[in-house]
Amino acid sequence: MSLHRKSRKYHKWLMLFVGVQLLIWSITGAYMVVMDIHYIHGDSLVSTKQKAIAVGDVKYSLRQLLADHNEAVNVKLGMLLNQTVYRFNEGDHKVIVSAFDGRQLSPIDKTLAISIAQDKYANTNALVGHVQLITTNPPRELSGRYLPAWRVDFDDFASPSFYISANSGQLVTKRHSYWRIFDWMFAFHVMDYVDEAAGNKLLLVFTALAFIASIFGLVLTYFRLMPQQNKKNDYFDKKLNKGFTNEET
Amino acid sequence: MKKRSPLKSSFIKLSTVKKLHKWLSILVFIQLLIWLGTGLFFNLMDHDKARGNQNKKISTLQKVEHTRLMNLDIALKNINKPVTEVALIQRLGKPYYLLTHEKGLYSHFKSDFSLIDAYAGDTFIIDDGIASELAQASYKGNGEISGVAKVKPPIKDVLKERNTAWQVNFSDELNTSVYIDASSGRLIGHSNDDKRFVDLFFMLHFMDYPFLGQGSVGGFNNGQIIFFALLTLVFCLTGFIWVIELLRKGRYRLGS
Repeated sequence: MSLHRKSRKYHKWLMLFVGVQLLIWSITGAYMVVMDIHYIHGDSLVSTKQKAIAVGDVKYSLRQLLADHNEAVNVKLGMLLNQTVYRFNEGDHKVIVSAFDGRQLSPIDKTLAISIAQDKYANTNALVGHVQLITTNPPRELSGRYLPAWRVDFDDFASPSFYISANSGQLVTKRHSYWRIFDWMFAFHVMDYVDEAAGNKLLLVFTALAFIASIFGLVLTYFRLMPQQNKKNDYFDKKLNKGFTNEET
Repeated sequence: MKKRSPLKSSFIKLSTVKKLHKWLSILVFIQLLIWLGTGLFFNLMDHDKARGNQNKKISTLQKVEHTRLMNLDIALKNINKPVTEVALIQRLGKPYYLLTHEKGLYSHFKSDFSLIDAYAGDTFIIDDGIASELAQASYKGNGEISGVAKVKPPIKDVLKERNTAWQVNFSDELNTSVYIDASSGRLIGHSNDDKRFVDLFFMLHFMDYPFLGQGSVGGFNNGQIIFFALLTLVFCLTGFIWVIELLRKGRYRLGS
């Protein structure tokens, strides 16, 4: 069998098995490159305003805080809406304490979570939809390390959800429909639906076969492009495509 | 006599599909083979080496003597930029107030910080000497510092970084480079020849070519990849239709 005919045969047969995955790669790849990654991350949903802290409001000093909470690490003074607060890690969870009187403010309640979400959301006219406190079994789109967290859904384009940490009162994750689609696209792209690591055996086999199949396809393109070779193989072409390429003039 | 293809009743002729497939193959084959080849590489590569952290170590925290901490209102009195957050952090085992003037959504986005010694109240500037010490503190390899330079984005090793950094190079077998944020002294990360090798494959997979468009940006939303991705989509779709047609016509027989 000539190289031309062999290539035609192998290209045809291999593509029967890996063609669907190649199509999936091209669809998912196209989606991922066309959609701006910063939009996908939901960066444009977040308000850019930043509030300056008034150090004069701090009546409960850092020294006092560290005396009262001697396990505190990673201490930060910042804003919680219009209050100046300390945030820090105590053991394995975060704590918010008022910088005015040292009162503990965490975990935050539903009303405060909604206010924070609205304050952080760029579109000030958007209405809040469903609100839910998640303490166990986070959805696919939220990392378990942020639990417990309030999920605040907005009635806005692409169904955005803001996740506000119940212990730090901070926006920890933002998601919308196009992120959710992107996440599935990536899973299909790396042929993995369990842990999304680009190192699974299924992917390896399909990529290797697709590579070989493409090389055979390239050989076919080569024969197609070479005028003399084409003439030589004209006879085989006709034979192979009988009743099949009639409409090709 | 002309037979009518079953696809002819739909919007496109089978012959057009085949012609498109053949012509598109000339346009996309190089990049398609690069995509598959680099994809194969990502699958087989050593994911630990790819991180570039072979010589990285975590520095330990020292106990802060909180009675010595300077009051914030005194520490901040000479600061004339607005401050959105104050963090009590440590650099080289000593406590500092890290003042945030401007903070991006992520640490690699444009930000502006300053540092104040939390005991003495002096402004702490990350100069080449401090940057070298910070880099050394994060390094467990056996190389010596061979060079320190202030680098502005885009930085080849850390393309996503948008802040000015100190690059501290070590003379080890992996040519480790350590990046320190110039305003906060934060460790941005390590890079080395293993990671640079992997970065080359990402550049190829994402068509993030330095000689095209806006140059390498460490992302996959550039014009050339959008163009080729759409061509490849049509290429794969036409091939797929071709396979379906072969199946329909019973051209998949064992031995054929």
